[in-house]
Amino acid sequence: MATLSVQSVKKSHGAATILKGISLDIADGEFLVLVGPSGCGKSTLLRCIAGLEELDSGAIVIDGANVTQSEPRDRDLAMVFQSYALYPHLTVRENLAFGLKMRKTPPSEIVTRVAEAARMLEIEPLLDRLPKNLSGGQRQRVAMGRAVVRRPKAFLFDEPLSNLDASLRGQMRIELMRLHRQLSATMIYVTHDQVEAMTLATRIAVMKAGELQQVGTPDELYQHPANQFVAKFIGTPEMNLIPADDARKLALVHSLPDGTAQVGVRAEDVHVGHGVGAADAMVEVVEHLGWEALVHLRIGALALVARMKDPPAVGARTSITLDAAGLHFFDGTGARIFSSNDRASAQRARP
Amino acid sequence: MKAVRNALVHVVLVIASMITLYPIAWVVKMALTPSQGFSLSASPIPEHVTLANFADVLGARDGGHWLFGRQLANSLAVSLAVTAVGVVLACSAAYALSRFRFPGRETSLRAFLFSQMFPGVVTSIPLYVLLEKLGLLNHLAGLILVYSTTAIPFCVFMLKSYFDSLPRELEEAVLLDGGTRFIAFIRVVLPLSRPALAVTGLFCFLTAWNEFILAATFMNDPLSFTLPVQLQRYVGDYSTEWGHFAAGAILVSIPVMALFFALEKHLIGGLTQGSVKG
Amino acid sequence: MLFAPAILAAHVVLWHAYRGEEERALEHVVKTWNQTHPDETVDAVAVPYDAYSQKLSAAIPRGNGPDLFIAAHERIGDWRASGLIQQVPESADDDGYLPETFTPLHDGGKLFALPLAFKSLALFYRRDQLAQPPDTTDELIAFARQKRGAGKYGFAYETADFFYHAAWLHGFGGKIFDDGIPRLDSPEAIRSVEFVLALDREHLVPGDATHVLIAQLFNEGNAAMTIAGPWFTGEIAPGVDFGVARLPIVSETGKRAAPLLSIESVFLAARAASSQAALRFAHFLTGADGARIRAIEGRQTVAARAVWDDPRVKDDPILGAFYRQLPDTIATPSVPAMALIWEPVQNALRKVLRGAATPAAALHDAQARIMASIHLLPTPVSPLPYAIALGVFCLVALIYLSRRAASRLGQARKQRAAYAYLAPAAISMAILVFVPFAVGASMSLYHHQAGRFTFIGLQNFISILSLREIPITDPLSFYFTLGVTILWTVANVTLHVILGVSLALLLRNPLLKLRGVYRVLLIIPWAVPNYITALIWKGMFHRQFGAINGLLSLFGIAPVSWFSHFATSFAANLATNVWLGFPFMMVVTLGALSRIPKELEEAAALDGASAWERLRHIILPLLRPALLPSVILGAVWTFNMFNIVFLVSGGEPDGATDILVSQAYRWAFVRGSRYGYAAAYAVLIFLVLVIWSALARRLSDKEAEA
Repeated sequence: MATLSVQSVKKSHGAATILKGISLDIADGEFLVLVGPSGCGKSTLLRCIAGLEELDSGAIVIDGANVTQSEPRDRDLAMVFQSYALYPHLTVRENLAFGLKMRKTPPSEIVTRVAEAARMLEIEPLLDRLPKNLSGGQRQRVAMGRAVVRRPKAFLFDEPLSNLDASLRGQMRIELMRLHRQLSATMIYVTHDQVEAMTLATRIAVMKAGELQQVGTPDELYQHPANQFVAKFIGTPEMNLIPADDARKLALVHSLPDGTAQVGVRAEDVHVGHGVGAADAMVEVVEHLGWEALVHLRIGALALVARMKDPPAVGARTSITLDAAGLHFFDGTGARIFSSNDRASAQRARP
Repeated sequence: MKAVRNALVHVVLVIASMITLYPIAWVVKMALTPSQGFSLSASPIPEHVTLANFADVLGARDGGHWLFGRQLANSLAVSLAVTAVGVVLACSAAYALSRFRFPGRETSLRAFLFSQMFPGVVTSIPLYVLLEKLGLLNHLAGLILVYSTTAIPFCVFMLKSYFDSLPRELEEAVLLDGGTRFIAFIRVVLPLSRPALAVTGLFCFLTAWNEFILAATFMNDPLSFTLPVQLQRYVGDYSTEWGHFAAGAILVSIPVMALFFALEKHLIGGLTQGSVKG
Repeated sequence: MLFAPAILAAHVVLWHAYRGEEERALEHVVKTWNQTHPDETVDAVAVPYDAYSQKLSAAIPRGNGPDLFIAAHERIGDWRASGLIQQVPESADDDGYLPETFTPLHDGGKLFALPLAFKSLALFYRRDQLAQPPDTTDELIAFARQKRGAGKYGFAYETADFFYHAAWLHGFGGKIFDDGIPRLDSPEAIRSVEFVLALDREHLVPGDATHVLIAQLFNEGNAAMTIAGPWFTGEIAPGVDFGVARLPIVSETGKRAAPLLSIESVFLAARAASSQAALRFAHFLTGADGARIRAIEGRQTVAARAVWDDPRVKDDPILGAFYRQLPDTIATPSVPAMALIWEPVQNALRKVLRGAATPAAALHDAQARIMASIHLLPTPVSPLPYAIALGVFCLVALIYLSRRAASRLGQARKQRAAYAYLAPAAISMAILVFVPFAVGASMSLYHHQAGRFTFIGLQNFISILSLREIPITDPLSFYFTLGVTILWTVANVTLHVILGVSLALLLRNPLLKLRGVYRVLLIIPWAVPNYITALIWKGMFHRQFGAINGLLSLFGIAPVSWFSHFATSFAANLATNVWLGFPFMMVVTLGALSRIPKELEEAAALDGASAWERLRHIILPLLRPALLPSVILGAVWTFNMFNIVFLVSGGEPDGATDILVSQAYRWAFVRGSRYGYAAAYAVLIFLVLVIWSALARRLSDKEAEA
């Protein structure tokens, strides 16, 4: 397997700058998810790594070797496309074998490796079918099989699950995790879906407008978003953001660090309760999720979402407090203001 | 309601088919009628039937050579070669125009279109001189080159738009699988373009199969004439041997019809549907 | 593919366009010669008539021509000036030719060919209707009056064809050239046209008659007499008892009607490889031995006097009749200006017979046109300013291009592969398409007269675009033809699209029974070579016996004379071209339709859209981008669709339905080889199309933006 390094990669299409100098190191065996809204440049970055796009500047290094000028075929990477890109005129077996044939693998080995990959992905009964005779989920498996069979240095996934329905998507996510564990391979995965990112990744890189916003483990991103964008982008429901003025006026927050423009608080840190900093809120909507519920609250013009086990009735008035340890402070530019909370949790996190 | 509409559709289609068939029936009638005059009655059914016209056309001899056989062989050789050369050149050009963004691309596309606008009236004599300079006068190879270049622009347009409709990911998958662009082109793009290749191939074949003025101008030996040249020999300055002409027209058209029937599905075909769109 | 001849002392190549028995007779003569002259063998090559003159003018100047070729004598002047033929030495044998056939083969006192056979018109009559052919026009008219009846005529011939009319012209004492100057509006000429007009007005001859119709009338006994040439015998149905006689004496003048005489001759090609052997064979072929075979087996009216002593030839009723007509013939003038005569006079005749002009007015008009076209000789100019302009242009273009190239060199280098893919097609196109066109187009700066090209700058363009004395509504005017061409293109493409799309929509339903059968039947027209289609449709539009009029009569509609009026003639061309063109559009549409996702339509159907609304708002807008390239290309092809216009209407009436390409063709090959003028037309056609395609592109771009 391999390490992979992206070094200040810049790329533009005509006047539009797609990547504004991205640097990223991916360790061997890591499952890195590139996540961001559409148009943020995550797919372009993936294609740059694959060698399908040329860089304007910067370098791609795989296992210490600079491959920036190499052809895609010389980088020994496998890619699973959003559209799967199965060869429509070849059977599943031929699709799997194609890459091996290209690399002049001995026929006997091709047979064993195709069989192995087919078994791993449970597509053995499909081997002699044409792609057009497969369901969406089956195609997805074949596309992954085509990558697996190659035993590449790293796997690249470009939104591979976006064409599947919700239940299949969940199933495939588990499949992918299993695969990652089995192969202990380096994987780079592009998605716009933060749930996918959170569930799959060992590390997440959040991108926006051609720039990296934050790179870290799902937990780090969730607990300590580097800025307001990441804070809102990661986690469901979105983090509540309260303008500093409102927070002060309602006395929801004990003290604000200097320069705070927005106070962020996740739904699970909004509690029903009385005491210091309690504010009166009205329950507008309750989303029941089974063992918990999302409660949409309104305090004057301010809307907040809370996560609760025992939700109050709709229309009820209730008093809420914010967990002081769960507060995030952002300045006028959206950047995180480090507070005592961070230091405390940083210490907690240290083993 | 639905049955009425269905019947109406059939009525329209039957009428349209009759209109397309009527002139053909007339040719058949003239070919089967013993006289060499023009058939002037409205009925497309021949009164007397004879195969003499076909026998005359098929049996024409020049010295010891079976003229029809030789010319059929020439026509086939030229048309197949034009199909091969035309399709190969057009494929490769269309691929460049579809997949690469290079300086000169727009100009080339326009040049291909412009080439369709040249009236042939002024180019035949310069072409003659050119072929002579190339030493290809009186060679079937000369005809093959001329016809191929005539057919290329249309083929390029057809193929380019077809290639445009194929997803690029397929070729990218090949590149990552360890293939080159050329391998992607040969092993993936071309096999997927069979319908378009069939149409362009057919077009090339037709271009070569039906042409006679240039063939008659560039060739000197009756044994190297193509079939339409021979067919045109039945149309004279003072009179036309209509029976022979019609019989010849049928014989000339049969291979083309057969090709059309064989390729009819491909003409319209949509192989990539289902499989590519996912 | 040439088969290398055995190494021989001489090998003579002879080109001809003979068919049938004439070809067999010629081959017999060649065989006879080859048996006795093994060291001077002759190879006879048959060339299709339609390509004959183009092939001669392409091959001979470059030394690829034959040693000998057979052609009518009319173009001696032209060919001599273009250097296509060489002088034939006079010999003692020349007394053996009938003088009427030998003298016209001279040009400027020099002999340029040897006569093979002569062809003129004579009077054919049915013996079952007419024991004795009329010897004067009065007798002829009397007989015709008596025979006249519904669809029946005593006399029928192609009244509107000047080739036939020339016999009357001469009979009335007129001449085509008087002292070398065309003289078609002489009182005698006017009288001759008035004579024909009287025949027509009295319905003594059928109007709008083509030779096909004449043959039909004659064979069915509905015409007792006709004027025709020896080729007519092949069209007479078996069992018809007919005779051939001299044309009658014009009662008014006492002179016998004298048809034009065409002398089929064997020419010694310029740059002939074996001219001595060729001459020896030519003498054998034209001499008594060769002529006897040709007369008896090929049924030719040969020029060798000795053969006419042979009872098998002399007493042949047909050959003998033409032999007797010979003294009363006038050899077709072989001066180059003759090529300019045909069209204006032909148009004048038609106009008169249509009742659109009096004989005098029509002929004066024709005369004026002929003189104008003869005097339309441009003045040579120095090519220097043009060369300088071209040089400057090239320089500027080069600088611009190299700058541009330099700025994009990096990009170009990155895309090297693209050029590799493009190169084979681009290079072969450049050599075989663009170079010939550039050469052809440069001819537009020259004037071609009898083989010589004179540089005249832009005068061809100026004279085309400025109209000179031609009114803008005249079919010869560039703007009129341009208008017709645009109308032609728009009408065709519109109908192709409407028909193609409608049929494709009907054929789309996969549950339709016999769908495959319909589809196959409906693309048949695409598979038929278009020259065959054109000839067939021309027949179907025939006034008397064409299928179209036959069908119309079923609905009680009177027969239409399709090619006499612009609208109907245009419609005939249009019908033909629509027939052969719609399958392409249909197939393109079927392909495009199969690519429209079904869901879209279903969604619209659920939204309550009617079938028509779905078509209008979903299908058609989606089809547009797919059809646009085909429409653009189809329009370009239709704009230059020469075969159909030329073969179906032939420009009738009076060249009104000609499109720009067929006009260009006429200037190049019909109106006396005015290649420069034709090239200027071609360049203008090209420019019109380029401008049009730029406009179309801008329109479609704008639409894409909107």
